[in-house]
Amino acid sequence: MFIFDSLSLVFLFLIALGTVPNLFYSFGYAKDIKRKIYYHIHYFGFIISMIGVVVSNNLFLFLFFWELMSLTSWQLILTDPEKKSTKDAAKFYFFMTHLGFIFLLLLFLIVSNGNLDIDFNSAKDIAKDFAYPTLLFFFMIFGFLSKAGVVPFHVWLPYAHPEAPSAVSALMSGVMLKVAIYGLFRFLFDVLYPWPLEWGIVILILGALSSLVGVLYALSEHDIKALLANHSIENIGIILIGFGMGMIFDALGLKDLSAFAFIAALFHTFNHMSFKSLLFMSAGSVLHQTHTKNMEKYGGLIKSMPVTAITFLLASISISALPPSNGFLSEWMIFQSLLSSNSITHVALKISIPFAVFALALTGGLAIACFVKAYGITFLGTSRSQNAKHARESNFLMQSGMVLMSFVVVSLMLFTPFFIKLFDKVTQGLHGVSIYHSIFKDGFLSIHSISDNGGVVSPVILLLALLVIVFILFFVYKSLKLPVRVKNSWACGYKVSTRTQYSATGFAGPIRRFFSWLYKPKEHFEKQIIYGHDTKFETALYEVHIEPLFEKSLYKGAKSITNKISYLVYRLAHFEQSRYSAIIFNLMLSVLFGYRIFAHQFSWANITLEVIILIISIKILIIGDKK
Amino acid sequence: MSFVYYIFSIIFLVLLSPLVLSFIKSFKMRLLYKKPASLFQGYRNFAKLFSKEIILSKEASTITKIAPFLVLSPLVLILFFLPPIFSGSFYIGFVDAFTITGLLALSTFFLMLLGLDGGNSFGGIGSSREAFISSLSEPAMILTVFTISLMANNLGIAKAAINLNNHFPFTHMASFTFATISFFILLLCETGRIPIDNPETHLELTMVHEAMILDLSGAYLGIIEMASSIKFIIFASMFASLFMPFGLGLNPFLSLAVFIAKIFMIALAVAFVETNMAKLRLFKVPNLLGIAIVFAFLSLISFYVLGGNA
Repeated sequence: MFIFDSLSLVFLFLIALGTVPNLFYSFGYAKDIKRKIYYHIHYFGFIISMIGVVVSNNLFLFLFFWELMSLTSWQLILTDPEKKSTKDAAKFYFFMTHLGFIFLLLLFLIVSNGNLDIDFNSAKDIAKDFAYPTLLFFFMIFGFLSKAGVVPFHVWLPYAHPEAPSAVSALMSGVMLKVAIYGLFRFLFDVLYPWPLEWGIVILILGALSSLVGVLYALSEHDIKALLANHSIENIGIILIGFGMGMIFDALGLKDLSAFAFIAALFHTFNHMSFKSLLFMSAGSVLHQTHTKNMEKYGGLIKSMPVTAITFLLASISISALPPSNGFLSEWMIFQSLLSSNSITHVALKISIPFAVFALALTGGLAIACFVKAYGITFLGTSRSQNAKHARESNFLMQSGMVLMSFVVVSLMLFTPFFIKLFDKVTQGLHGVSIYHSIFKDGFLSIHSISDNGGVVSPVILLLALLVIVFILFFVYKSLKLPVRVKNSWACGYKVSTRTQYSATGFAGPIRRFFSWLYKPKEHFEKQIIYGHDTKFETALYEVHIEPLFEKSLYKGAKSITNKISYLVYRLAHFEQSRYSAIIFNLMLSVLFGYRIFAHQFSWANITLEVIILIISIKILIIGDKK
Repeated sequence: MSFVYYIFSIIFLVLLSPLVLSFIKSFKMRLLYKKPASLFQGYRNFAKLFSKEIILSKEASTITKIAPFLVLSPLVLILFFLPPIFSGSFYIGFVDAFTITGLLALSTFFLMLLGLDGGNSFGGIGSSREAFISSLSEPAMILTVFTISLMANNLGIAKAAINLNNHFPFTHMASFTFATISFFILLLCETGRIPIDNPETHLELTMVHEAMILDLSGAYLGIIEMASSIKFIIFASMFASLFMPFGLGLNPFLSLAVFIAKIFMIALAVAFVETNMAKLRLFKVPNLLGIAIVFAFLSLISFYVLGGNA
């Protein structure tokens, strides 16, 4: 019924690390929630369902907890259902998560032969006999990755996460997305194991695409929680890059490299849990005090909210993959496994992997830009609104939640060998090789890349060296005993005020302009000019709105196509009876043909012939001659 | 002895860095038929800045007080990881492109925060532009250094430089040339030289780096200036060791002389580029960086197609 192998335990550990600091934060946060009992029932139900997913060894139980997880999180988004945007977001989330659920259900029904009450091992035997394993693979990635928020199923994240209470967004982004990654691990390792090379390439491409799309849309956001939600898309993409490399290496028979890549992916899963929870908590604390999600209304909060500011800075450094943070270490490992592609003999594959290197590096660069924006606009400078001016530090419970989570972030950096040992156990279950001793060749201080002539990095030594240098510099500076005077900011003679300060929109301006082919921004500019002088104006307003490309093309496009088709059907409804019977005849024909193709034999010639017959009969019987 | 060489080369690089920047400046002035500034102007500036009073902005927070140290210290740390100058010298051979780029990015991250801390619009301009440029230069940097380390058959920068010096990969001359072009563009970009940023301007239309530090004064400004000169020497030294891989096997004095000659050759090239080119418009900068990225890709692909080392 339940399973406690190393994979389950690792993810159980992840849930524990993500949940315990969140409990403190949530109790601090719940003081302002009106429907407390409602909130707490769903909150704990959500946590229990996530634990249930990672320990169940029964397809039915897995599906039950999975659905419970979706439903409780959906209800948690609706904790404060007064606003219309909250209701819309919840509706969208409900739809998207059940779209994934349908695919998951299909997958489960196929691999269990209709009887869901079996465990993963028996599912493996049934899956082995199924004629179209790639179909199973696609059902699986649709099902799990729509929950994880991978392009093109990522559209719900920037809506659902901002509307949920901050403790819940931290859980959803930090832990729930990882449960989807667990599903991917569990199914690929235990049910669909020997996979072809192409599956790994699909995962790698999806990962590279998600990481770029996530960070680019994060840059254009000025709702702080939507920005963080977009970064979740990016980080899930980075995890999938590692995961895809692991699959590619495994399909090529390079067991050690594959284990290294999977360990890197798992490590990034943990790291993303830690810093993304911390970021959502700090952002929630800012939101709690200023009562707005709009970054343009923040500013100067570092003076009034020091604990929040420091924890946010720590998490920003970590998510931007700056050394020696834990985010850097896992990205370094993923990077090293991409570079190990040197030992692939397949030249076409070898040449295309540098594009993933490029995507990862560009993502890193843009993430730095994005977090300079998020941190600088929120916490530095002067306050841009009255709300920000009167903000105070959040309550003690929320602070302790954030501080606990920063301990998790720091310990992921300091105790890397311990975590890698855990992850090594997981990959050992798949390949049977332990690479812990090849990663930590000489002691626990430095992490070695597994490939020949690979790189080495040592987080502890880097951190110590940086600290020592900073202290020496600081000591030298202090010993100079220079006088300090406090005066106004120097802005070349211009006045420094909140209105001349840089805004979040302005900060991302150059990048937005460079990527305007992707963003297609809709600009809105309004100014009241004085006496007809074009350059002199009393007030000016500049707004820019970006509609995400995927939402516009895939989702709205699908909607308009459905509308058009239903209009055509509506027009058909006014025909005479003979046409109705013709439609029924065609429907039967297509069902028969379809059944023959999928259930019996598959040949392109037959399919072409049948499609032609169908088209002719539709043309003659239904559409008829033009009048 | 080898450790003495190691410590000596780090101190030597730190001491050399103001001289190189002053040399570029005075050589540029000579090319423009101006009376050149003294070669020791850099040292004089530092002496002056470190004895002046510091003026802090009213809006400035703790970030202004700690950021200058965090801008300088990652760059100082990189100095410890650079390829050796002398043949018998101790070196830390394993540090790879991703770590070096990460340390550079850490320094830039705090510099950009510093720009936003004063609350004035100039700092914002500078940070925003720097964020734009550095985010696009990071992939080029990683790809280029990755290619050169593949050619040298070792991902560690210092080890790669020694390998290149000992067995130069003549079969991969094309890849090597492409990587050199790409890295030279990156050198200009990362150190804020003319086609990308103008180090001497104080006009809001053109400045990037100077805008971020407009609000600083005294020792804090001195630390940031020191950081930018050390950044130049890091890039010059990486270019000299990785892309002009010769002269390491000679006796210590000769190899030091060869190294200094290489550094000043790079400085001369930068000065010529600066006097002969106009600063690019901000939105043309990605084109130049795009060239760097394309050359890095070309270099990698031609390396793989020609067989590689594996």
